Parts: sequence; structure tokens; C-alpha cells
Amino acid sequence: DPTSLGLGLDEEVKVTKKRQPAPKLDEARLLSQPGIPKLRRTAKRKLRLKGKGYEFQDAERLLNFYQLWLDDLYPRANFADGLSIIEKLGHTKRMQVMRREWIEEEKPKPFGDTI
Amino acid sequence: MEQELTSVGHDVQVIDPDVRIHVYSLVTALGGFNGEDADRYMLGDDALSCLRDIRRWLKLYDQRNNRMDVVRCLGEANLVIGDLLPILSIWWANGQNSKHLTRVALACLELLVPLTWPAEYHSQMTANHHRHTPYLQQIQVQYKRSILKYGGSNLLRAVIRIALPSMAIPRSERESRDEGILKLMLYLLRNIAIITTNDRLAAEGDEEETSRSATINAFQDQDAFALILTMCSNVAEDFNQQDVVLLEILFHLVKGVNVDKLFLNDEERKAKRSDELGDLLRKENQVKREYARNAPTRHGRFGTMIWVKRDEHKVTTVSGQNILRDDQASLQKMDGSKKWKKPRPRRKKEDTVQYNDFNIPVHLSLLATKNFRIFVEEFLDSGFNPLFTHVRKAIEREADRVTGINARQFFYTVGWFLEAERARRARQVIQNAEQGKKAVEPDSFGLVAGVLNQETFISLNRGMQMSLDNKEWDDLTAQMRCFTQILLTVQEMAFSPIEEDQEIADNIQNRIFYEETTHDRILSIVRGYKDQGFGYLDAATELAHVFLRMLERYSKINVDMQIRSKRRARKRKKDAVQTEAQDGAENEEDVNSEDEDLVDSAQVTRERAFDFKRFAAKFCNQSCVNTFVAFTEFYRELNSEQLKRAHRYFYRIAFKQEMTTLLFRLDIIHLFHKMIKGPGAMDSSEPVFKEWEEFVRQILRRLTKRIDQRPALITELLFSKMNSTVYYLEFGQERQTMSTA
Repeated sequence: DPTSLGLGLDEEVKVTKKRQPAPKLDEARLLSQPGIPKLRRTAKRKLRLKGKGYEFQDAERLLNFYQLWLDDLYPRANFADGLSIIEKLGHTKRMQVMRREWIEEEKPKPFGDTI
Repeated sequence: MEQELTSVGHDVQVIDPDVRIHVYSLVTALGGFNGEDADRYMLGDDALSCLRDIRRWLKLYDQRNNRMDVVRCLGEANLVIGDLLPILSIWWANGQNSKHLTRVALACLELLVPLTWPAEYHSQMTANHHRHTPYLQQIQVQYKRSILKYGGSNLLRAVIRIALPSMAIPRSERESRDEGILKLMLYLLRNIAIITTNDRLAAEGDEEETSRSATINAFQDQDAFALILTMCSNVAEDFNQQDVVLLEILFHLVKGVNVDKLFLNDEERKAKRSDELGDLLRKENQVKREYARNAPTRHGRFGTMIWVKRDEHKVTTVSGQNILRDDQASLQKMDGSKKWKKPRPRRKKEDTVQYNDFNIPVHLSLLATKNFRIFVEEFLDSGFNPLFTHVRKAIEREADRVTGINARQFFYTVGWFLEAERARRARQVIQNAEQGKKAVEPDSFGLVAGVLNQETFISLNRGMQMSLDNKEWDDLTAQMRCFTQILLTVQEMAFSPIEEDQEIADNIQNRIFYEETTHDRILSIVRGYKDQGFGYLDAATELAHVFLRMLERYSKINVDMQIRSKRRARKRKKDAVQTEAQDGAENEEDVNSEDEDLVDSAQVTRERAFDFKRFAAKFCNQSCVNTFVAFTEFYRELNSEQLKRAHRYFYRIAFKQEMTTLLFRLDIIHLFHKMIKGPGAMDSSEPVFKEWEEFVRQILRRLTKRIDQRPALITELLFSKMNSTVYYLEFGQERQTMSTA
């Protein structure tokens, strides 16, 4: 009698299905290819701003550009929520280092360094 | 215990049946309406003892055991409306000469006060409290209605009449019993002023009859205002124990009342009212028009669907006809159809704000406005200085009668009346101009001088610092409002045609602006906003706005303005001590001159020249911007004065301080764009709209230019800027580090 051995073979094994974790908008996703790299890549080509006289249209274009980018990157969140999540991520150490790097890239090199 | 656990139904006993039997028998024995003469109340044979017994029950059962059973029983037995008020009205009609009846009336008053004592939700509530409080709140509203309007009699007047003999006695000869009677009367008035219908409970049409307007009208009709005025103006001599209660009454009368509306005259008000209706209709029309613009032009099942083409041959489908209007609409629809919402931290609900909340606006009826204005003016003329000076002293001395809430009430009430005084002056100027009186003697500000002294400033400053440190935001809100009103009053004084006023104003401004700690405090208030609610946000932004503007003007006039900065003084002193130690071996002459230098430098260390530009630059950072952005998010509900305030701040940031970069963040740009272009844009017929539109246009123009110049902004637009790079983003170069010699 296997039950008398106390092995618990007769007891029903409970299988708890683990929930699929919800995708997160985190540093890794933000720094992955569809994240900020894509933003930097496509901005030049896709974002054509007209300047003086078209201020509000330009703003619309700009906002739409970011909205579509964010929708590709993280479709779950609406625009405002997505922005606030990203803004918060910007305070982390790693993001700050990256941000500084991006800014440094475009700065003109000091004269001595160009050798 | 078992009975308490039974399910909800008609027969559930929430009160011990024995208690109920005792209390009911007492109420029955008190008296009643006679059978043959049904509208006359007949006192029971032993009414006085009954009343005293009921009081004993309240004391020895309810208070001692921290229960509310007897109070509830008395409510269910209809004691107040069925017995106490009829007895008082008998006494008023024909019993004032009878000693016995007078004592009965006093005993009634003694019961009325605890029964109308506001039932608040607080942190130390037992299950019993939770069970009874809603019932009590509801029944108290009925008490209030009956007291304000009982048949044809003036019960408030009767209550005041009970206390008059005690009032007439000079304070030195008054006994503690007399003081107690005065206290009872004033607390009843206070309770009446406090009780309002609770939003969470059905009010059954009591709102109008127990509203602030009804209270004010009753106070006016039944001479309660006259009593309050008398006591306030004599508070120092005859009524110095009653100061705090008087303050409480005033607070609960003025909280939330709009000062500007109070001081319009009838015609203006009528005009404004019809304007208001017109305004509202127009606004509603606008909303409708905006809806109509986006509304479908076909029936609901017309079934339109479009593709939004995106990169890499991807498409998104969006349905509905309204999307055909333009790209913007379809993108908005895409955004709006997302189901997920970012979880937001819930705000902690603070207890005991219900009756002390001054952020909820109150509307007064026409008659009440008139009555109240008369009262406010008379109070300013006679009671303001004596009462507030006295209360301030009591609060500072921490007198026994002062409770924690009183300081907040004090600051709020002072601020309110200062605003009222300014509104009245503005009114007078207009009136004089209308009547063509030019050579009218201008009034001095002596009527409100009681709160424009150094003692008040010290206590206000200390209070603000304490509230800020202890995170008591409601207190801080009241203090900020008070400080703002003081500043505005002083500013008006500075423009007064009376030379003496100007001098005093100059002196006061010098004192206020002299302390660097005050400057720093304003700054940290504005920087430290996080979820404190709209009332706080409004008060903080207004204070910052007024303070900055006054300081700007003042430092322009007084070019060599000095402020006292403590930090500096200490550091320099240490330096000085060190140098002294080093130079110890110098000869005597040198030491002497060194001493002189020391004295000099001590003088300098305590004061230093004030640089407005540097101070204004301190408001130029991300956290201050965030605070004003949070304020601007309410743009649909803000009035034009508030919108102007936000506009001026952003204008200062962008064009005076040259820090547009701080505004280059997508959520801010999004907000600005939405304010002008919708959906849900500002009212474009308001004059302030034009200013905002121009401002936003300028900002956006700069943004596009800047993106061209510095592509790094494409990523930086997503984030709050870092201190180390913000200068580069703004000016395209590193900051020149200057040697601080």
C-alpha cells in the first residue's frame, strides 16, 4: 500500500500555471535597437520640421513622430504614460551615462584631440 | 455581542436595550405636547432633573466609556427637535422672568452643545464610532435646520439672551459659572457654523436650508453677528477667555468664501451674474462645437476603417469616421484606445479635514452676500486688530484653550480678512471716482496693522518653517495664503498717497526681505511639491509669484539692498579666526588693525548685497518647473489670474533666464500644444489665451531651431535635463568657469 509509506503518491499534484510576466518598459528595452538607437537613426530622415511660421504643425509632427516610435517600442502604454515611464528611467545611473555619451558625440572635438 | 453581529435589518440592536430604555424614559418624562391643547408644549413636573439626568448619561456613559450610544439614542428619541427647542421657545416667549424656567433653558443649552458637537472622522475611532458617526452627521444637519428656523421663534437670539446677564458682568467680577455660560453660547454658535450636509450622505433637501447662506442670514437676523462684533472688539478687556472660540466661529464663516464676489455691488453682481450665465452658455457651446467637429456625420454603424501606414510596411488599423478628419485625429484615437493604464500611487487620505477644509469654494446667495459684507466691513473696522492680536498672543503662549487646529485657522482667517480689506479699498476707490469725489481723505492701513508687525512675521515665519519640516501641508497652505496677503497688503501700502504708510511699507518690506532664510524657504516650498493637492499648489505658486515680483521691484528701487545670510557669517568667522591664529605673532600695531578688520568683516559677513538675478535663477530648475507644470495641467479649471501666474513664470524661465531647455521635455511640449490646439484647448476668447498662444509659439519656434542645431536634443527631449549638460544644450558651449576669487 503506497499510501502507508507516507510518500504522498496519491495526493494530487497541484500545478500552478505561472502567469506570463507583463512586458516591461525598462532600460534594456529602451536601449535595445527599436529603442533610442532607432530614434536617433530615424530622426534625421523622418523628422522634417519647417520652422518659422509652422510652429504648431511642427509640434504636431514632432509629437506624432515620438508617439509612433513609442507605440512600436512599447504598445501597451499610451503616449503620456510611456513618456512618464521613460522620464523616470532617465534618472538611473546607466541612462545618465548613455545620455552624456550621446551629447558628447555631437560636440565638436577639441582641437588637440583630432589626431 | 451576538446581537451586534446579526445581519443588517430592521431589528438589529446597535445600542444596549437597557441604555435605550433609560434614556427614552427620561426623554418622555421631560414633557410633551398636551392632548387637549396639542400645539402647546407642557413641561414635565421634574423637567429640570430630567435634563440634568440626561446630561449625566452623556457624561458618565458616553464620555467615560468613549461610546456614542446615548447621543444616538437621543437623536432617535427626537430630543432636540421635540423637546429642547420647544422649551427654549417657551422660555423666549413668556418665561424670561421665571427663575425656574431660565434654569431649564440653560440646562437645554447645556445639552444642545454636546449634541451639536461636530462628529468627525478621526484616527482614533472605535467600531462604535464608525457605526454612529454617519447617523449623527445626518441628524445634526436636521438639528441645525431646526435651530436656524424653528417655527416663528428666534432660537439663536434666545440662546444669546441666556448668556447676556453673564456678559454684562465685568470680567473681574465674573464667576467661573458665567464664563462657562459664555463658552456654551459661543460653542453653540460655532457648532451651527460648522455643521454642513455631508456629500457622502443623502441630504434630503436640507442643503439649502442649512447652507452657509442660511447660516449667515440667520446670524444677521438674530443678532449673532452683533454679538460677535461686540465680543471681538472688546476681546482684550472683557472676553479674553473667548478669543479662540470667536476665531473658530469666524473661520467657519469665511472659509471658502470668494472675497471678490463679496465686494461687488448689486448692479455689478447682477451684470456679472448674467455675464456668468452668458459665459457658461458660451463655454458649453464651445464644448458642443468641439464635439460636433469630431462627431460622426453618419449613423453609428456606418463602419469606416483606415490604415495608418508606418515604417517597414507595417500598418495599424483604426476605425470610426471621425478619424477621417485629419492625421491628428487618427493618432489620437490610436492613443485613446489603449486599455492599459500606468498604475498610480494612491494619495493618502488625511483624516479630520472635513470641517477644517478651506479649499472648497462656497457660494453665497444674494441676500447672504449683502449681510455678510456688512458684517465683514464692521469687523474690519472694529474687531480685526483686537481679536487677532489677542489670539496670536494666546497661540504663542500656548494657552490651555488653544488647540492644534487654531494656528491654521488663525493664519487662514487673517489672510482672508486682509484680502477682504484690499477688496474693500479697491471698491472705495471706484466708488469715489464714480461720485466724482476727488479730495477724499485716504484711509491709512491702521485697521489691519495688528497683523503687520514684527511679532506676527516672526510667528508666521516660525510656523511656516515648522509646517514645512513636519510636512503639515494644510497648515502650510494656510500660512502661505496669509503670507501672500500680507505681501500684497504691504505692496498696496507702498503705493498709498499717505507718506507715513509708504515709510511703514518700506520698513516692512525691508524686514521681510532682509532674512535670507525666508527667501530659501519660499524656494524649497516651490521645489518640494509632490502630491499635496491643488489647494497647496495654488497657494505655493501664488506665493512664489507675488514674492518674486515684489522682491524684483524692491531690489530695483533699493539698489544697495542687503540681506542677512547666516551661513556665510559662520564660515567667514571661522576663516577670520584662523587668520587670527596665524597672525598671532605679529606686532601690536598690526594686531590692533587686525581687530578692526575683524569687526568690519563680522559686519560684512552678516550682511551681503542682494542680487535679484541670482535669486531668480534659483527658481530656474527642473523641480520648480515641474511644480508649475503640475499647476498648469489644471488649465481647464484655472481662472485668468492663475493662468497669468503660470504664464509669467514660464516666460521668466524661457526669456528672462534664458533657460528654455528646461521646458524642452515632451510632456511639457505636449501640454503646451494641447492648451492651444486641443483637444480640450483653453477658451480662445479670453485675453490670456492670446498671451499663451504667443508664448507657446515662441517656445516651439525655439525648439525646432534648437533641434536643428543640436540633434542630441532628440533623445534629451524625453528626459529631465541633467545639470551637467543643460548649459551646453542651451548655449551650445560649455560654461566658462570663472575663478571665484
